[in-house]
Amino acid sequence: MIVVDNISKSHLGRPVLENVSIEIPEGTNLGLIGPGGAGKTLLLKIICGLVKPDSGKVTIGGIDVHKLGATQLADLRFRIGMLFQNYALFDFMNVADNIAFPLRQEGTLGELEIAERVKKALHDISLSTIGNRFPNELSGGMKKRVSFARAVIRQPPILFYDDPTAGLDPVISSKIFILLRTMQQERGTTAVTISHDIGGIKEICDFFAMIDRGQIIFHGNRDAIERCEIPLVMQFWRGFSDDDLDG
Amino acid sequence: MQSIAAKLIRPLHGVGQSFNYWAFQIGGLCILMARIMVNMLPWRWQFDGPETWRNLYRVGVKSFPIVAVTALLTGAIMVIQSGLYIEQYGAYGLLGWGAGYTILREIGPIMIGLMFSGRVGANNTAELGTMKVTDQIDALRALAIDPIGYLVMPRFLAMIIMMFLLVVVGNFTALVGGAITSQLLLGVNMKLFAWSVITYVFLDDLFHGLIKAVAFGFAIAIISCHFGLNTQGGAVGVGRAVNASVVGSAIAIFVLDYIITFASM
Amino acid sequence: MSAEPHIEQPQTTSAAHNLLASVGEPILMIARTVREIFEMFSLTLYYVVRGRKRWPAIFEQMYDVGNRSILFIAVTLGFLGMILIFQAGNQALQITGDLQVLGGLFLQLLLREFAPTIAAMMIATRVATGMAAQIGSMVVTEQVDALQMCAAQPVDYLVVPRFIACTIMMVILTIFAVLVAYVCGAFTAYMAFNLNPRTFIDLGFITWFDPIIGLVKAFAYGMAIPIIACHAGLNVFGGSEGVGRATTQAVVNASLAVVILDFIISGLGYVVLGLL
Repeated sequence: MIVVDNISKSHLGRPVLENVSIEIPEGTNLGLIGPGGAGKTLLLKIICGLVKPDSGKVTIGGIDVHKLGATQLADLRFRIGMLFQNYALFDFMNVADNIAFPLRQEGTLGELEIAERVKKALHDISLSTIGNRFPNELSGGMKKRVSFARAVIRQPPILFYDDPTAGLDPVISSKIFILLRTMQQERGTTAVTISHDIGGIKEICDFFAMIDRGQIIFHGNRDAIERCEIPLVMQFWRGFSDDDLDG
Repeated sequence: MQSIAAKLIRPLHGVGQSFNYWAFQIGGLCILMARIMVNMLPWRWQFDGPETWRNLYRVGVKSFPIVAVTALLTGAIMVIQSGLYIEQYGAYGLLGWGAGYTILREIGPIMIGLMFSGRVGANNTAELGTMKVTDQIDALRALAIDPIGYLVMPRFLAMIIMMFLLVVVGNFTALVGGAITSQLLLGVNMKLFAWSVITYVFLDDLFHGLIKAVAFGFAIAIISCHFGLNTQGGAVGVGRAVNASVVGSAIAIFVLDYIITFASM
Repeated sequence: MSAEPHIEQPQTTSAAHNLLASVGEPILMIARTVREIFEMFSLTLYYVVRGRKRWPAIFEQMYDVGNRSILFIAVTLGFLGMILIFQAGNQALQITGDLQVLGGLFLQLLLREFAPTIAAMMIATRVATGMAAQIGSMVVTEQVDALQMCAAQPVDYLVVPRFIACTIMMVILTIFAVLVAYVCGAFTAYMAFNLNPRTFIDLGFITWFDPIIGLVKAFAYGMAIPIIACHAGLNVFGGSEGVGRATTQAVVNASLAVVILDFIISGLGYVVLGLL
């Protein structure tokens, strides 16, 4: 259970998030939607403790994320996987080392076992042959999948996906959503997914929230969002705009 | 067999690659210089007053505090270093000469030049490089605005003028720093220090340093604009361009310094 | 994140207030930067002592800092040696007409001042910009966030290898710098003033104090430069513009730190020498 309680954060004197509160029950996937620059990525980074909020608190399983010391935070992060918007693959390591990095950092498995796990992970994303290549030699879709493999290699109970299909073609996008869904069904993970691909997150998410200008303007399950009367939510959900662009 | 051949070729490959790299950079610098010179011709003269004024402010006024601090400390260090000898021989009257001569002729222009290259040259490369990787330079061309006239010329003029003025101010600040140190640390009266500077240091020494200042300003301007305008490859490319620009400027400063020193004897 | 225009701050426009604000703001900013740098320094020392040493990463950084700077140091310090001998020799000819002590005094000054400081200025330009650019682009592309999410500390993982490598290599490069500048100086003295290299190479002036203070300086610069560069790199925000800003900040701060440390160590050295 992840509880976000009254988070506010400003950047360069300008409020980016204002009094955001949200709960994510165990084993559910929250779809986070909203216009660009609304603060979605920042909220995600605050939840996993990468950015400190100005006020408010975040608890994961009852533990206040922002009150932890470096080692306790590291322990918590062993249970969290994150897929970054810009892949965030380490460009000084090859693909296999990238995927193995979280396991090596944890330090409980031997090298042989790590190699085995990496091989299986590469097989799962159907990229078995690219272990020795470097991230800058890969296409966007391949990088996204490698990044996904790195996020889930520790089989964490909590997963955050920041725009898993940005800039990918529809075929690769649907492949990635299938990967996310199998993950969800096999392990029952708690997850937050940011995406602009409404068709995709419709399939994988149980709850939805919409952020606009730093505030949550909608939060509810699929039925609620289908019936929602807020104009911006309707536009997003159905993918059209009936007023001026600058609205 | 093939792998042995490949191993034999590899060093040659590296040599060729770095030769290509240097040829490209030096050629690019020459072309940029030529284009600036063409722009200087009376009938091609483009002068953007407000843009030049803005650059003069940014280049000069904004880097003044750093140059002042550097010069103050450099003067102090020179006095400490010469102080060790002066004390040995008891020739306190020569302290101002020792510090003044080295500051005006060599260390002043070099240290201020290096700081200027770091503050202004790097900044300039980063700015032009960011414009390049975000396609702003192509956008200027598409609007029929010549990037040389609009972007490079104001920076070029501002850097030469301001490097000259900053060395004038910096030399003075360094001498002040030296005087203060000689009074406080060495116990040599400031008046004696000033007398020594005025008596033994000639106007020639000052001009020698100022010629260097202009040359350094010229080199830093050309090099930083060249590397900025040839940036490729996103944020990583901007970092690499800044690195290349400051390294090139540092080499240019020492080589030009040597040439000017040698030529003036 | 900055799609919308900035919200105007309410301004109180009294001249005194503005003056105080324009003086106070830079001071506060400098104070904050200095504090952050010292915090990072102590954190780095903690991890150097307690953390796991990653020797492959350290050697890679040593190659990057050391081997790849050799040519640069050789060119710049070589020219510096020639320039200094040229100036000093001319002045000595005019005033005393005696060049016998030129080589000895030159070596002493190189050890005490020029070799460590100018070599450090060169490393501050080449290596500090490189580090800030590399780490800065890692921040921009979220790689540093990813490191943290994999439970690796950025200071431990990125700063410590650079810190150890740069400290070691700075000392070695300083020794190299002395040699290059001295050899080039000897060559110039021979070519320009027809001074026999045997006369020029004169260790008579050197006491234990000279190499020690040179190495102390090199050691201090070697510790300061990577910390300052990594601090600039880790604090990047915004895209390629942010990386450019960070590299500029790195080279300026690192060069200033070299000058300030030089002043402090030279001053202390003078006092110590006076006491002995």
